[in-house]
Amino acid sequence: MTRADDRPASLSLQSVSKHFGPVRAVDGIDLAIGQDEFFSLLGPSGSGKTTMLRIIAGLERPTTGRVLVRGQDVTTMPPYRRRIGMVFQNFLLFPHKTVAENIVFPLRMQNVARAERDERLLWAMKLLRLDGLAERYPNELSGGQQQRVSLARGLISRPALLLLDEPLANLDRELRAEMEVEIRRYQKELNIPFVYVTHNQEEALTMSDRIAVMRNGVFEQIGPRNDVYRKPATAFVAAFVGQSNQLTARAEMVGPDSLTLTWRGHRLHLPHPGGIKAGDDVRFFIKYEDIEVTPERTAPGNHVGGHLRDIIFKGQTANYIVSLADGSEIIASASSRDQKVTIGEAVSVTWPASAGMCFKT
Amino acid sequence: MTSVGDRAEGWRRLAMSVLLGLLYVFLYAPILFVIYASFSEDIVWPFPPSFTTDAYAELFDNSLYSDALKNSLIIGLGSGILSTLFATAGVIGVLRFPSRRRALILIAFLAPLFVAELLIGISSLAFNARLLGLPGNLFSAIAANAVEGTAFAFLIVLAQLVRYDWQMDDAAMVFGASPLRCFWEVTLPAIWPSLFGAFLISFILAFNNLEISFYNLGAIPTLPSVAWGSLRFGLGPELFALAALTNGLVFAVFALMYVLMRTGIVKFGYRGV
Repeated sequence: MTRADDRPASLSLQSVSKHFGPVRAVDGIDLAIGQDEFFSLLGPSGSGKTTMLRIIAGLERPTTGRVLVRGQDVTTMPPYRRRIGMVFQNFLLFPHKTVAENIVFPLRMQNVARAERDERLLWAMKLLRLDGLAERYPNELSGGQQQRVSLARGLISRPALLLLDEPLANLDRELRAEMEVEIRRYQKELNIPFVYVTHNQEEALTMSDRIAVMRNGVFEQIGPRNDVYRKPATAFVAAFVGQSNQLTARAEMVGPDSLTLTWRGHRLHLPHPGGIKAGDDVRFFIKYEDIEVTPERTAPGNHVGGHLRDIIFKGQTANYIVSLADGSEIIASASSRDQKVTIGEAVSVTWPASAGMCFKT
Repeated sequence: MTSVGDRAEGWRRLAMSVLLGLLYVFLYAPILFVIYASFSEDIVWPFPPSFTTDAYAELFDNSLYSDALKNSLIIGLGSGILSTLFATAGVIGVLRFPSRRRALILIAFLAPLFVAELLIGISSLAFNARLLGLPGNLFSAIAANAVEGTAFAFLIVLAQLVRYDWQMDDAAMVFGASPLRCFWEVTLPAIWPSLFGAFLISFILAFNNLEISFYNLGAIPTLPSVAWGSLRFGLGPELFALAALTNGLVFAVFALMYVLMRTGIVKFGYRGV
């Protein structure tokens, strides 16, 4: 959470909490975000991520704790003095103002001279490829255009920080993928820290440098995106990020980095993070893509036999659903191109002994 | 098969058109008759038609009516402005700052609608004169009319502002607008049509009001009180002219607004995204 960098963090939260009556929407969060960072808050709805964003923006005042922007304490500062940019889920463009008026709104509020305003407007319109739309009204734009106007409005004043509250949730899939790449490009080009709130793990994984997975007002895990994906710190993160199979059983023998258990008659050797004793009930999570389905057992490691029930075609990849003798299922994901197995046949399910992670139930 | 269906459909449309026509006759026949009669020589039985503007000449010759018109306009404007201000502030408060007692607060704003005008008139007279020692004048008439006006305006403003997205204000504030500037730049442009509507209704209510104004004004004439007073001498032709003019004015305002909206000079309502 601390950064080696000795410059003041662009944003830092110090034990920030927000209580609504008995509900702890945000519960003692510490966080520091650097100048060049794309940071995502990932969590299911109700996890407190939007409340946290509103606290940073100044739209909610924290019950306890401090908020610092570029080293300055802004905890009690109203939103209109913070000079933070924001992009909203439902765009929130001012419906009675044209595209150009919407985009320069932050500059007008900061009393920037007209000549500079016009110059910055041109810059922002060009950056977001909005040429020719200046005189349109928001209701005359497509969803993607509205979101780009909303981004231009957020970026035009070169804020100390840009907050993005599920900005792509209302766009269709194709446009979303395109905007994911664009938004990350703006962040890297402009060198403004972005704090991005989403419940969509793909968005978070595509764009972020670091991700915090949030649940019930606290961080379950915070770290580089690879770590969050590959090395989940808790069972919740393991289940929430990526697509995983979940196996439950009782640990039999526990070694320093591997434990042994019997799951439905199969003896498995699985990695664990420590803190598990023999006899504990554990949940094992393994991502679809870590599992291999072959006609015969080829690789060493854990092995389970079954028969292939179905192949779900996803485009580049396919999900292979394997039914085991007792009716439970394991799903593997692999390239859809060279399928070595056919539906209905007996198959072997294998994965390396180091893949996946066990957590105490 | 189709022709039978078509014929049934035709009959149904005809029946609905007739029904609609009858409803309009019910609503507008008396008003149109007064306007027609006001231009007639014989207002008691204005058939066959023979037109004259005598009634209007009589109306304009009588200085009592112009005084009364002036007073009614003052009461209407004053009460309309007060009502709209109070109602808007109230609605924004109720919607922006949710409370568990919201229902109670709403009812308290709307309750004056259920108090008889006569009662508002008498009680505001008693309260102003007896308790506060204030004389009855145009100001107290404006205040008393604004009691009812505020309740009506509240209802109208509320009906539109429930659809307003207050996150819009959040956005404006994040981008640097102080609360006052935010209201002026973002909220007001979106909600002004409902404020205007609320003003029009509360204006017309106070302008037309007899009971509330009468108790607070006594001998100071307003259009309704003069019209009512002149009844003692029978239905004079100038009353027909007065009724026609008042209606004509209201229709003219609405016609003007309709034209402005159709031509897009005025955007009435929320430009939804």
